[in-house]
Amino acid sequence: MSAVTVTGVGKTFANGTTALVPVTLEIGSGRFVSIVGPSGCGKSTLLRLIAGLTQPTTGTITRPGPLSTGFVFQDATLMPWATVTDNVALPLRLAGMSEGEINQPITEALERVGLSGFALAYPRELSGGMKMRVSIARAIVTGPCLLLMDEPFAALDEFTRFKLNDDLLALWQQNGWTIVFVTHSVREAVFLSERVLVMSPHPGRIIADLPTQLPSSRDAGVRLSHAFADQCADISNRLNEALQQRAAS
Amino acid sequence: MSRAVRMVLPVVFGILLLAAWEILVHVYAVPEYVLPGPSAVAGALWSDGPELLGALAVTLEVTIAALVLAALTGAAIAFLLAQSPTAERTFFPYAVFLQVTPIVTIAPFVIIWVNNIFIVLLILAWVAAVFPIISNTLLGLKSVDTNLRDLFLLYGASRWQVMTRLLAPSTLPYFLGGLRISGGLALIGTVVAEMVAGTSGTSSGLASRLLEASYRLELARALACFALLSATGFVLYLLLDALSRYLLRHWHESARTAES
Repeated sequence: MSAVTVTGVGKTFANGTTALVPVTLEIGSGRFVSIVGPSGCGKSTLLRLIAGLTQPTTGTITRPGPLSTGFVFQDATLMPWATVTDNVALPLRLAGMSEGEINQPITEALERVGLSGFALAYPRELSGGMKMRVSIARAIVTGPCLLLMDEPFAALDEFTRFKLNDDLLALWQQNGWTIVFVTHSVREAVFLSERVLVMSPHPGRIIADLPTQLPSSRDAGVRLSHAFADQCADISNRLNEALQQRAAS
Repeated sequence: MSRAVRMVLPVVFGILLLAAWEILVHVYAVPEYVLPGPSAVAGALWSDGPELLGALAVTLEVTIAALVLAALTGAAIAFLLAQSPTAERTFFPYAVFLQVTPIVTIAPFVIIWVNNIFIVLLILAWVAAVFPIISNTLLGLKSVDTNLRDLFLLYGASRWQVMTRLLAPSTLPYFLGGLRISGGLALIGTVVAEMVAGTSGTSSGLASRLLEASYRLELARALACFALLSATGFVLYLLLDALSRYLLRHWHESARTAES
């Protein structure tokens, strides 16, 4: 069964630039799919199209409903005037749930991202990594089946990013979400996902759709394995070829 | 520099300034109708104090009413202007027009058109005070985090939810910044309006008393009025600043103390 179906979806901006050449793809339920590519390749546009934040110029998209979709932005995008609890509560309050109904899911979401002790903190008291955890807690608090993540860890230092990568993988394995993860890091894409969509810019298009061949239960050791290095090299080469072809033409 | 020293320094400077003034007035034997010394002003403040405070209450009533009105209407106008770029382009120039027109030049018309002197003063003080609130609030409304907007859109937030849960809190620091400026402007507007309107009698405000005293060359009394008005403006600023810090204490950089 597929969680997201994208049929002939293309996007041309009002100024005539083609952000995305029409693509068709299916994302299976419970899969972890990464979209990787350099800036300007349309990967964020594709994600925003899937989320319904941007309307496609052509084609159709089938997706789960709003409360079944969680979105994580590149910046943590927290409301600075609200506590961690109030930030995580936002999707539930917007859906009109009563104060009595929201406590349980908030506590659970904070537990899952390891922030139980910070319920009453304000965003400015948190580190970059912790803010991103709050952002993830907010995305999963509605109990979604689809998680869309737009370069969520790009602004974090490497140690924090690895830790969050590991924790995200563990959460995915426990909860069975479908995750679409946009990143500009080939290594991050290969480490996290089961399938990598490689995109190239000018115009934005998908140049490869590859399964990753890594053990399904991954731990930090995978990052040091030969299989991991080979996969990363393969994707990097394809990207370089695409970029050079464009430069030559 | 310790906190105590920082607090004391401006006070010491003020005392030195007053002392120099007092000494110079005595050394050069300046007549009191030209320039009274601080002791003479203090004397006038003491003897006329209750009466002047009564007049200050009249001025303050107009100032605060104008400030509250400016806060409400200014925020409302900004919200309306923010609804569409067309609305802003159409109406904002008139807000600017309101701001750059000296209220002294509007006063004669308002005095002719409106009978009630309180309303006249209120209108003029409002004209002086409303613009910073409109322009700051509008800036705030246009500075709302676009990702947060997307988030609200994603979860299907209603217009009302967007307004109360996103726009109002994001705009609050800007609005409060405008309010701090408008506090002083409302007082200035009231004072100018009182002077232009030429109110007199027992129910007139402090600016009218200042003008009367200066006509009679009672400069000590006039300076006492001046001192009270300045002190009022200063206290008004401190109160609005404290309000701003209190409301933003948890989250906004402007309310961050040096220690935290």
